[in-house]
Amino acid sequence: MRKILSVMLVVLACSATLFASGEKESGENGKTILKVANYALLESGYEQFWKDVEINFEADNPNVDIQWVTAPYGEIMNQVINMAGGGDKVDAIFSEIDWIPGFEDAGLAAPINDILPQSFLDDLYPDVMKAFEIDNKAYGVPLYISPYVLYYNKALFEKAGLDPNMPPKTYDEMLEMAKELSELKDSNGNKVYAFGQTTASVPVSGSSVNAMIFNFGGSVLDDNGNLSVDNKGFKDAISMLKKLDDYSYNPQNAKLKDLRNLFALEQLAMYYDQSWGFNGIQSINPDARNFAASAAPLTGGNGSGQSLLQSHCFILVDNGDARKDALSKFVQYVISADVLGDYLANLTPAYPAIKSMEGMEAIDNNPVLKGAAASASNVKAQPFIPQLKDINLELCTLAQAVTVGDEDVASAISDFKKRAQSKLSE
Amino acid sequence: MKKKYQKLSDNSYSFVLTIPATLLTVVFIIVPIIQSLIMSFQKYGVKNIISGKPGTWNNFRNYTKLFESNQIPEAAYHTIWFVLFVIMFQFLIGMALALVLNKEFKGSRFFRSIMMTPWVVPTVISGLIWMWLFQPQYGFTKYFISILSFGQVTDLAILNNPRTALGGIAVAALWKQIPLTTLLLLAGLQNVPKSTLEAATIDGAGAIRRFFSIIIPYLAPVIKITISMAIIENFKQFPLFWTMTGGGPNGSTTNFAILSYREAFVSMNLGSGAAVTTMWMIMMIVIVGLYQKYFKVQDLS
Repeated sequence: MRKILSVMLVVLACSATLFASGEKESGENGKTILKVANYALLESGYEQFWKDVEINFEADNPNVDIQWVTAPYGEIMNQVINMAGGGDKVDAIFSEIDWIPGFEDAGLAAPINDILPQSFLDDLYPDVMKAFEIDNKAYGVPLYISPYVLYYNKALFEKAGLDPNMPPKTYDEMLEMAKELSELKDSNGNKVYAFGQTTASVPVSGSSVNAMIFNFGGSVLDDNGNLSVDNKGFKDAISMLKKLDDYSYNPQNAKLKDLRNLFALEQLAMYYDQSWGFNGIQSINPDARNFAASAAPLTGGNGSGQSLLQSHCFILVDNGDARKDALSKFVQYVISADVLGDYLANLTPAYPAIKSMEGMEAIDNNPVLKGAAASASNVKAQPFIPQLKDINLELCTLAQAVTVGDEDVASAISDFKKRAQSKLSE
Repeated sequence: MKKKYQKLSDNSYSFVLTIPATLLTVVFIIVPIIQSLIMSFQKYGVKNIISGKPGTWNNFRNYTKLFESNQIPEAAYHTIWFVLFVIMFQFLIGMALALVLNKEFKGSRFFRSIMMTPWVVPTVISGLIWMWLFQPQYGFTKYFISILSFGQVTDLAILNNPRTALGGIAVAALWKQIPLTTLLLLAGLQNVPKSTLEAATIDGAGAIRRFFSIIIPYLAPVIKITISMAIIENFKQFPLFWTMTGGGPNGSTTNFAILSYREAFVSMNLGSGAAVTTMWMIMMIVIVGLYQKYFKVQDLS
């Protein structure tokens, strides 16, 4: 009898293992569930904004239930893909512009004109929207845009005997000023770094290095997405990274968040960041508004100081008519002057992507972003290829090779070409 | 006849009881390994996961690409260097601590308890702690070395230097793993018969002779298990590498775990990630196999 019972138990355990299944999700009271993947909810400074978005949107649209899918910045893509692999697709992904080609290649991103009405699409700046296109179709809708801007510390400039209202315009001017700035110490006797350019092993650092290459008039990819690095601008930019390291002006191997930290603690005089990086600075040092100012990206070599367009955008997923309709309402609700006005003016300095927000006083005259205002129109988009993330990571490896790796520029570029070409051939 | 029937019944009963374990092993270990092996010969991306379409044969391209770009040899070098370095120091320090803690002295129980703290800390948290300790601008290590060197070394950046970064991660791994090694060796030491040690002492054997001729042979089974566990733990080490350096700077800390993660989940090339995993698995099987073959345990019973 005991044997029979134990055998039955074994059969039961095996059946439970094999036939266990999840339950089907359905909205309460027939509500449409809208799943939005958003890493920003886990980042200090942004959580309240997005919770308010949820509460206010649901109040206006009682038939829609917003469900956030969260994961840290570096893991959100995997989270969305894992869910989609299991048949559970989110409706929108709050993302960086560089993530678009990956999601499009994966077959998740839908063309935005399949979901959003023409009246809303007409409000987006056409020049900006070119940067979101793959084969003439836009696969992302921008909340706001920015080039990489040069943040600098006015107080440190003054302390070094420099004019705080005259930031450098060229890399040569920056190197001159860096001599004075690197002599400074903070109140605890710590070294002050003169200039920060992120080079850590994360894709966004590669994108920032790419922007620096554009400053020098160089390129990484041609218009068809092929490798195009045999140009003076590319070599000049990499040589500049080496020079900054040789003079110990640039904190080695730093992530953007490390640079924000150093800048907030007044141990970094100037650095490149996305304009919304200021929120990170402010969350570390609320007094940062008193000393931080921005300037246009520097001009180097034969370049004109052009930078790379950056954006926080929504990538949209087609999950059928009911959810598409709710998604369209949600996107139009968020990308509006009412919702983004205060956000851009006070929380995340950036430039609006819709015409109806043009001329908003609080944004146009944002004291932190004012100095870099002209740079918003001097941007270039990187061609979208599925391997963009890999190319950005290879740019980080190249930057590390000439800095912490002490390699000479020519051989490091030669190695980069081999690796990048191998990635592009996949 | 009844006896034969009883034996058959017992065999069937035993077989039925092994089914759950066999099923779990096949479904969750064997099948994924075979699937990964197949995937390593295919072009298999995120599109395949989402659409459910199978990958396409790509003529060993995943492997040739990884060898051509030198990624596999470099990852193998970093992995083996790390495993050997950590195991050597882990064993030496762990054994020294176990010998000390095996003596009864005032506070020995307290030390035995407090010593386990690093082992209890989750690996990711350990990585973050050590990353901040090694932080080049305001990390404690920089400050400490600056004082020790009387201000001569002021810019120590262990994790930013390709020559020292792997060593920095190894230090964090040692901090985390030495307590368990010590605990296992200590348990082994307490089973060495005191009578044998006393007899050796009476016969004139010194401390070194007793250590190598009595303690080590008795400890051999524990040492074998401890080192096997350490080989596997460090061969698959991912959280410390990912948190502390992400494989950088300049690829100097890219081990197999980091390379497979980057290929599969950053580059979203699951075929290539599977190829790294296959190479990684083969190397681990070979090393653990060789270790098991050459580390003989003498039967002292």
